[in-house]
Amino acid sequence: MIIIGERINGMFNDIGEAIKNQDPTAIQEWAVKQLEAGANYLDANVGPAVEDSPEVMKWLVEVIQDEVDAPVCIDTTNVDAMEAALEVHKGTAMINSVTAEPSKLEAILPLVKEYEAEVIGLAMDKTGVPKDSATRTAKAMEIVANVDAHGIPMEDLYVDPLILPVNVAQDHAPEVLETIKQVKLLADPAPKTVLGLSNVSQNCTNMGLINRTFLVMAMAAGLDAAIMEANDQEMLDSIATAEIILNNDIYCDSFLKQFRK
Amino acid sequence: MGLTGLEIYKKLPQTNCGECGSPTCLAFAMQLAEGKAELSECPDVSDEAKAALDAASKPPIATVTVGAGNYEREIGGETELFRHDKTFFNETGVAVAVSDEEDVAAKVEQINALSFERVGQDIEVDMIAVTNDSGDADTFVEAVQTVADNSERSLILVTEDSATMEAALDIVADQNPLLYAATADNYEAMTELAKDNECPLAVKGEDLDSLAELTKKVDYEDLVIDSGARGTSEVLRDQTVIRRLCIKKKFRPVGFPTITFTTKEDPQEEVMQASTYITKYAGIVVLSNTVELAEMLSLLTVRQNIYTDPRVPVTVEPNKVYEVGEPDENSPIFITTNFSLSYYSVEGDVSASKEPAYIIPIDTDGTSVLTAWAADKFGGAKIGEILTEEMDIEDMVDHRKLIISGYVAVISGKLEEASGWDVIVGPRESSGIPNFISNRWESELNE
Repeated sequence: MIIIGERINGMFNDIGEAIKNQDPTAIQEWAVKQLEAGANYLDANVGPAVEDSPEVMKWLVEVIQDEVDAPVCIDTTNVDAMEAALEVHKGTAMINSVTAEPSKLEAILPLVKEYEAEVIGLAMDKTGVPKDSATRTAKAMEIVANVDAHGIPMEDLYVDPLILPVNVAQDHAPEVLETIKQVKLLADPAPKTVLGLSNVSQNCTNMGLINRTFLVMAMAAGLDAAIMEANDQEMLDSIATAEIILNNDIYCDSFLKQFRK
Repeated sequence: MGLTGLEIYKKLPQTNCGECGSPTCLAFAMQLAEGKAELSECPDVSDEAKAALDAASKPPIATVTVGAGNYEREIGGETELFRHDKTFFNETGVAVAVSDEEDVAAKVEQINALSFERVGQDIEVDMIAVTNDSGDADTFVEAVQTVADNSERSLILVTEDSATMEAALDIVADQNPLLYAATADNYEAMTELAKDNECPLAVKGEDLDSLAELTKKVDYEDLVIDSGARGTSEVLRDQTVIRRLCIKKKFRPVGFPTITFTTKEDPQEEVMQASTYITKYAGIVVLSNTVELAEMLSLLTVRQNIYTDPRVPVTVEPNKVYEVGEPDENSPIFITTNFSLSYYSVEGDVSASKEPAYIIPIDTDGTSVLTAWAADKFGGAKIGEILTEEMDIEDMVDHRKLIISGYVAVISGKLEEASGWDVIVGPRESSGIPNFISNRWESELNE
């Protein structure tokens, strides 16, 4: 399971303040903390407090990588900001995200190719989030075909089938699980799959429980990665357990500990 | 697995004409991948696309039959890169080469003797490759005749001269020999011979590329392939590439079982080389110098073990008495199950005790003591019934004592009732057996 730590996001007050004041302290603290917990990537989103400009995104990537040696998941809809961040990023970055809209694909995929980055493809277009699995899969297929046409390795694509909160869009969750299964059949080698996990429990009670239960179900369907709270220990226990039950990791009595190494 | 949506899409005409009923070629590709549409609905479909779909519906590696009668065997038909992922299905054919320049009858006699019984199964060399080293057709035919007269083993006819091959086929075509080999120079004549006689045909390339080119030209399905590599590392590489291309990429031109040849002259080295080929996907391995059973046995054992189905527990023959050392009327009797891990754990620890004993593995469908007990296959009544009705253990010993594992102490009462023997609850782990025998058995015996 590839864990993309979600915490460096301007919608959290401490990060929002840090970005506004150009003070890297909180950002760098969270970078270290998430990696120590087991995150593989650090999502970086400037949030609603400041303008999503190339300068801010670039600064954010730089202050993160000044502190830690880890790839950043560049989370923005602004193509200029993506490019500015890619220019300064060290190692293999992840772009979050592109949709199946032709204009987006044409603007973003050449960047992904040029910088040898990875990319998250949202299974939607400008008409919004599809309701059923078949439409989600069709949107994913459009992204898959374009990624292939741009000469980007299929393993570098992470398809996000888009989970919605279970309290208001309950019928979406099973469709998302089915989409994860279908996406794995679209190409060989298969594209990877990713979820913005915390979305499933927005404004629900027992958010942690909902998150980790859904993640285990999604892993059983073939999920490869999640943007999630990397410091949620119960979540990590659930992932470690699922990896054992899926026969991805070899069992040992100390599997919870081994998973964190 | 069928073709992926992307693979189909790339082979579609990309016209987006909509005549198939789907709005775009991409959408049609997805319908095809899900089995909801037929390729024939596309008006502009190419032969390439048809071939790709055809390839997807076939197994990755063809199954080819070599030989006839007792030694007929299927090779190929494999689906795995690693045996623990499922199993390897068709055992590698092990052949020994006989040159038409040596004493054919004498070597055939040696090959016929390469047969052994191991864990209840006959394992043996099952093919003979007759090689046309003389370059002379009559000599070759005579050698083939001698082999056919003296052995039932499947034949591999090794000559690249089609006239010589034809002459040999005149006498042994009904034995379904493997014709070795079609090359870039002779493949048309060889393919005709294979077709006319309905025999499997080996295709030999200079390397993987030329091999794939050649199999595309050969209009025949019963093929066995040889990349031409002879060094161990080169064969290992080619065997791996071929297996991966078949299974991972559905690459049809190499979707056939393979034939490999050893090159080492020293039998020990030859057996090591052949073992490598058996573990790495060879359909047939041809040796030249290993004709002693002591040397060949290790290779045949490797084959038997590698092709054992890992999903099925390995068992020992149940409900019979096994003797460890030379037990007598005062030796202990251990009861265990016929799961080979259980049996051999007990056997190993009894041996370690240096005291002779009897072991009786009960038929539990190859499950361990606790598994069998939980599944009601190792109950006292059942074991008692087997011991009294199916076996003759009374005459073996003067005492009337059976030893069971400490883990199933709970069955001792029922077992005593059903068997009429005293039941001693032994140690839980078989590692406690040596200690049990040296410290407790004598007092138990005299009780």
